Amino acid sequence: MFKRSVIYVLCAAMLNLGSPMMANAGMIGTLQAVESSTRAGDLSIVASALARDEVRQQFVSLGVDPARVDARIAALTDSELRTLAGQMSELPAGGDALAIIGIVFLVLMILEAVGVIDIFKKFP
Amino acid sequence: MLGGCASGGPQLEAIDTLGYPERVELTDTPFFPQREYQCGPAALATVLAASEVSVTADALVPEVFLPGRQGSLQSELLAATRSRDRLPYVLPSRLDALLAQLAAGHPVLVMQKLGAGPWPGWHYAVLVGYDATADRLLLRSGLEPRQEVSVARFVTTWDRAGRWAMVALQPGELPAEPELLRYLEAAAGLEAVGRLDAADRAYQAAVREWPQEPLPRLGLANLAYARGDLREAERSLRAAIEQAPQDVAARNNRAEVLLQLGCPASARREIESAQALAAGGPHAAAVAASATRIAPVQGPDGPGCPAD
Repeated sequence: MFKRSVIYVLCAAMLNLGSPMMANAGMIGTLQAVESSTRAGDLSIVASALARDEVRQQFVSLGVDPARVDARIAALTDSELRTLAGQMSELPAGGDALAIIGIVFLVLMILEAVGVIDIFKKFP
Repeated sequence: MLGGCASGGPQLEAIDTLGYPERVELTDTPFFPQREYQCGPAALATVLAASEVSVTADALVPEVFLPGRQGSLQSELLAATRSRDRLPYVLPSRLDALLAQLAAGHPVLVMQKLGAGPWPGWHYAVLVGYDATADRLLLRSGLEPRQEVSVARFVTTWDRAGRWAMVALQPGELPAEPELLRYLEAAAGLEAVGRLDAADRAYQAAVREWPQEPLPRLGLANLAYARGDLREAERSLRAAIEQAPQDVAARNNRAEVLLQLGCPASARREIESAQALAAGGPHAAAVAASATRIAPVQGPDGPGCPAD
């Protein structure tokens, strides 16, 4: 009998771990209220959950350390997750201005090598 | 989507008439030279360090760099800003909005598109000043601690990247020329990812700046509710409804709070008002769900319920 009641208490405590979400069930979130006046988007919880899974998979396939994925997802809002889902390969990713210079140089080298241009003649 | 803006762009000559100084240079802004492909971490570290976060570009790499894209996404720069308890305020897409932040002492993280065709050359840099007399802007960019570019050149590259720019603010600090919804979207983003103290300070600042607006009070109420302080939540929501009797979210949430305070009669009245206002709007489903739960709870208010 004692054991059983301990189990009940533990079960209740474990359920409580998720209680912020449960307790918030009826409350309209601040971000939800703000976004309802800034954009007419899909605010459904189901869409957000799907987006979260999608973004998780894309993070892994784009080479993010799996140990870091959860923390990165946790810092994103639901609407950011919905924006990222399915688009992480297309959205602009600020990287490197230097790479372009490298590519231009490479193109010039090829043109030089095949004889289309002749601008490196001063170099041995 | 923003085509046609590139050639003209607002002129720097307008600075004087707007009351900004002719010349600004935020010399205290640190510089983090970028490693290969890592202008995102470098630019973000620059604005975070300027807002008194102790951070380096290298420390931000595991938070914002996407190896498969050899770059960083805008959303992740916002997210990492929140993770450092700073408010990422995305600026309106006008040059003078950027200059206003510089004049107020905030370096501005900008996105540029430097390449063309198959080599897009998406790039992040940080604006740290301008010189209206010379028509020039000053940037920390890539390996250059002090890059001078003409306004026309900058606006072209900024325009091609969708005119995206942000500042990182300390919680409770307002940007120059703050806009309510932009500011609250950023503040509510802090709340949504669990940075509750930072969100609280941001909402307090918003209540001071926009005392007539219900949204900042809704934010404070939701934070009080998250802390379990139902009385404080109810007070904030009542104040929000006094400011804006048509506010569906505030009425819905007040009904929920009243129910939990043991005031079912007041809760029923409040959710009925919310339902009448919510029809066809974005919160209709949420309010209907609350009503389904609240309406069957019979009985009068208990002692100590707030008067309507």
